[in-house]
Amino acid sequence: MLRKLISYFVLLAVVVIIVMQFFPPERTNPPVNPASTFVAVAQPPREVASVVGRACRDCHTHETVWPAYSRVWPASWLVAKDVREGRAKLNFSEWRGLTPEMTKLRMTEVCSEVTKGAMPPAYYRPMHPEARLQIEDVRALCAWPTDQP
Amino acid sequence: MQRTYIAILSAAALSMLIVTGCGKQSASSQTIDAARLRMFKPLPEVLPVKAGGPEAERVALGRMLYYDTRLSKSQTISCNNCHKLDAYGVDNLPTSVGFKQQHGDRNSPTVYNAAAHFVQFWDGRAKDVEEQAKGPMMNPVEMAMASDKQVAAVLKSMPEYVDAFKKSFPDQKDPVTLDNAGNAIGTFERKLLTPARWDKFLKGDAAALTAQEKAGFNVFYETGCETCHAGALLGANLYQKLGNVKPYPDTTDPGRFKVTKEDGDTMIFKVPSLRNVAKTAPYFHNGKVATLEDAIAQMADYQLGKKLTTEEIASIATYLQSLTGEIPAEYIKPPALPPSTPKTPKPEA
Repeated sequence: MLRKLISYFVLLAVVVIIVMQFFPPERTNPPVNPASTFVAVAQPPREVASVVGRACRDCHTHETVWPAYSRVWPASWLVAKDVREGRAKLNFSEWRGLTPEMTKLRMTEVCSEVTKGAMPPAYYRPMHPEARLQIEDVRALCAWPTDQP
Repeated sequence: MQRTYIAILSAAALSMLIVTGCGKQSASSQTIDAARLRMFKPLPEVLPVKAGGPEAERVALGRMLYYDTRLSKSQTISCNNCHKLDAYGVDNLPTSVGFKQQHGDRNSPTVYNAAAHFVQFWDGRAKDVEEQAKGPMMNPVEMAMASDKQVAAVLKSMPEYVDAFKKSFPDQKDPVTLDNAGNAIGTFERKLLTPARWDKFLKGDAAALTAQEKAGFNVFYETGCETCHAGALLGANLYQKLGNVKPYPDTTDPGRFKVTKEDGDTMIFKVPSLRNVAKTAPYFHNGKVATLEDAIAQMADYQLGKKLTTEEIASIATYLQSLTGEIPAEYIKPPALPPSTPKTPKPEA
């Protein structure tokens, strides 16, 4: 009985996964204006630019590297949601128009998120070893910028 | 049997992932994490003034000019018509009424705390309040003066003004100019600061905010509003695209594009400060949003892609009440203005 139930469940799951493949979420990388990026506008030190490029890029820029599993439902939906929300909250590709003060305020928040280990998210790290921050990465993010009010 | 366990475990794990991914955050705490407050600063107690003559003289002159309707073509409009100092620096109209009942094309922003903004106007076309103050006098749909010479002619027709300009700018030979009028008005405006309960809270008085306001701050923060509304003014230190996530439907006003003519500046506006926001309805550059609640809901939707619940909106609105500051009643008292003379130009209808 149990075995039958499980087979039905698995069958249903397979059907759902196949059907959902026909409703892919939006997975786009809008064009990046090189003059508008965090690196171009805020001119962070090399270490900061490097950590942001490695650990934040997929969800917080328009230069997402969409992993293979992001093509398969339900991972596709979860990844797309993270990217959508990540870009809305903080987008390193759209830094134009920020004063140095605002850069500092946003980096303050970045520092606090990485310090408490909330970012990059724990579920993202296993598949992205480059996003596992070392202590010196966290220090670099928190140490800059210091010369702003 | 082992396979069954694995299947059940995987299904459970998947459900957990979906639930945690899509689930709503629990009710916000009424205590505020100190790390969150690092994004905010108290309002400065004073702002430095620009170069010029004695400050007290310039402030007194600026106050007179601020209230003087004779600086408009119809002699019925002063700065205070649209930026009412006893009404949190606004007129509470979608767009203000100027010369011949014409309407401006943008909502009049509050003059309170404006001197601390990183640039002036919705599109940043003036660098400071001294430069800004000259704009409306010359704008044909606002005060509609023909030229800087016409402004100077009006002021020079009244000996008391000439005297006040001489005292305010003693180093200048011909101090009665539009530029100096802007300087004096700006100097006056640099003291239009409204410290609020929020500032007391930031300075360590935990009781300055109610429990509901603290919970509201947490909703504000968790929604992501602080991405743009941070610092001492909760805004006014960056430009941002209106419709960051979801296109804003009213594109009649392209924002900063009007100033720079660069494609990248289409729909880019200065992020307004949230100080006194509960008192400065209606909202947005077009003044088309009547209530604070609607403004919160639309901002979350267009800028952050979030549909807030009625409770979340109400909670954020409650927090924003703590940003309503004290108006400096004594400082803004309308002064006696110099009487007109036969030489003073007559109003034009």
